[in-house]
Amino acid sequence: MTTMTQAPPTAGADVRRFVATPVRPSSPVGGTQRRKRLDPARGGRRARMLFLLPAGLFLAVFSIYPLIQLCRMAVSDVTPATLGAAWKLVGFANVVKGWVSGATPQAIIRTLIFVVIVTILGMGIGFAGAVALRTKGRWSSILLALMVFVWALPPVVNGSVWKFLLGENGLFNGIIMGLHLADRPVPFLFDPSVALISVALVNSFAVIPFNALVYRAAMMNIDPEVFEAAQIDGANRWQEVRHILSPMARPTSLVLLVLTLVYGFRSFDYIYVMTAGGPGTATNTLPFLGYMQAFVRYDYGLGAATSVLTLLGVLVLAVVYTRSIRKEEGE
Amino acid sequence: MAPHRKRRGVLTAVATLCALALTACSTGTPSSNGSSGGDSSGSGTVTVWHYFTDKKQISMLDQFKKMFEDSHPGTTVDNVYVPYDQINQKAVNAATSKTGPDIISMNGAEAATLILGGALAPLDDRLGAWKDKAQLPESTLHVLDGKTYALQGYVNLLALWYNEDMLNELGLKPPTTIDEMESAMAAAKAKGHSGITLTGLPNSQSEWQSHPWLTGEGFTYDNLDEAALTKVLTRVHKWAQEGWLSPEATTWDQTVPFQVWAAGDTLFAENGNWRMGTAKSDAKFKYGVTTLPVGSKGRVYLGGEAQGVGAFSKNPDLAWEYLTSTYLSPEGELAAAKTVGSLPARLDTASDSSIASDPLLVPFAQSVAKLGDPYPSSSIPPTAVNDVFVAMGQAWSSAISGQTSPEDAAATALATVKEAIGKK
Repeated sequence: MTTMTQAPPTAGADVRRFVATPVRPSSPVGGTQRRKRLDPARGGRRARMLFLLPAGLFLAVFSIYPLIQLCRMAVSDVTPATLGAAWKLVGFANVVKGWVSGATPQAIIRTLIFVVIVTILGMGIGFAGAVALRTKGRWSSILLALMVFVWALPPVVNGSVWKFLLGENGLFNGIIMGLHLADRPVPFLFDPSVALISVALVNSFAVIPFNALVYRAAMMNIDPEVFEAAQIDGANRWQEVRHILSPMARPTSLVLLVLTLVYGFRSFDYIYVMTAGGPGTATNTLPFLGYMQAFVRYDYGLGAATSVLTLLGVLVLAVVYTRSIRKEEGE
Repeated sequence: MAPHRKRRGVLTAVATLCALALTACSTGTPSSNGSSGGDSSGSGTVTVWHYFTDKKQISMLDQFKKMFEDSHPGTTVDNVYVPYDQINQKAVNAATSKTGPDIISMNGAEAATLILGGALAPLDDRLGAWKDKAQLPESTLHVLDGKTYALQGYVNLLALWYNEDMLNELGLKPPTTIDEMESAMAAAKAKGHSGITLTGLPNSQSEWQSHPWLTGEGFTYDNLDEAALTKVLTRVHKWAQEGWLSPEATTWDQTVPFQVWAAGDTLFAENGNWRMGTAKSDAKFKYGVTTLPVGSKGRVYLGGEAQGVGAFSKNPDLAWEYLTSTYLSPEGELAAAKTVGSLPARLDTASDSSIASDPLLVPFAQSVAKLGDPYPSSSIPPTAVNDVFVAMGQAWSSAISGQTSPEDAAATALATVKEAIGKK
């Protein structure tokens, strides 16, 4: 048993200092009373709880409660007429309805395609961008500023600009037609087989700056002596990238990979702005399908069931993310 | 005692945080999110939620605001823009927390969503006591279960806008049949122009624009004729394949195609009377309007915005006074006709000489009489309207883009529509 031998710690003090000194036990009753008031471990826990309280309350009110409501809604029949009343429980009828209609399986496939494109491009070009930005100079500063600008742009603005750029008479088709690379405009956003890829590319464009900045921060932490030693050994730039930057950025890669997967999985705004789920249903990914069902068709139960599927995907990735963070901290 | 004190401390902290949060939520000042109250004697603020983005429609709202504030000293009209695809949801959400604006200007076809969501107040008593009630045709009232919840001060509908300069260049006249129209589009294409602009967005706007063509072939919600639906989807697919209609239409709402047509390189635009102001300001060529060439069976929806008093308006008397002084008054309806091109709903105003003498409004007025259809169809149950609109809009969009064959698009849409309206 341990107890303290000096005044209780104030918030932020090193609690371990106080719990380290063993002393003889005191009388059972009085000792218990004193321990309850003065146990530094309990005091530290209490302080931590107090600090956690606002965030915990915020999470409970704005995340956990809505999630519980979402899950309740997913197993209920909820329409505008019953939104403010008691919800009738229907079990998994909403999930079955979405699945039988074919909308859910198709949306899952589209979501997976979307996520794969966003992740590969986001990670690959993000890493390449970070390698380019690692050196100091005017051009890397300009590129860095440009990336921060792109990253900070609201998706609605970014998506609207890209919608014009990729239009039939937009900049890209202007260049393609001007250079006689095609005999008709490329249907970036209005061909069913191209639209999903186009929106995924734009989504990738938006995530690349974030990934590059995080990678760059990780690369800047690598000891310069490592590169000096490599240069003495005759390593070229590519070998530096392959044998130094890649392995040393691996923990960051793992975290970024999970974040990029989540980002791709929950993407909604670019689809909303650029294609509205079309043409037809060609860009109806899970988040957009959930939106359509809940806020266009006003079948809140069906929309919630689709959203819960999205949530499950994100939840799995969140668990992977947490584990990778812990692993990185452990290393 | 210590545990009790601790629990009490935590509870106090929770209560304090909740109180702070609640205080932050209710500022006590008038908010654009909802009704801001006032007394029923005539002073106060009328908050109007609308989704207008067209500059002429916004100008109409500004005129209504001025009219009302001038005639009702001490009152203020607060026009609040809410995006079209959010307005219903926002109003229903507000109603569940017993708040909301004084007036909601909504797509008349979607009034049922707001009524079922409890966002609108019944107007029967007010309407019964209103001296001009007889001036409003039955078709402009939005009724559910025998109660009237919203009214339309004007009617909007579709017709065929044509580029007269281009028709003259091609040596053609405005088409009266679909064959003539397709020949004209082919001729325009051969000269390097485009044939037609319309919306292909996979939502209710496409359902609205496809209705004249569908009914022209005999498809209605009373007669779910798959062959007719397939024929129309095949036709619009052909328009895209031939290059008469840009497949980019699948990303256009109804505003964009009109702007594209007004740029001058497209022969026709399937669009509405509410674009008249935009045409006058933007089109730098001679143009005209004719009824859609959809034959004797073809119908056009009588659409437009409906206005209702919010169920949780703090000043419903003033809100009703605003409606009857602007949207539903002869002066207001004529102002809407002059500014936007909307057709007055009042019987005494619809026959006004300024309407009958406007060559652009005449084809629309003729369409009301010849082709007018209630919007939405009375065959669709109020709870199924949105499902039907989305299914038909997606089929239209799929056919234009070629995502699926017209046959498959028709079959998929019909399956949803039949389930939604309970027909086999």
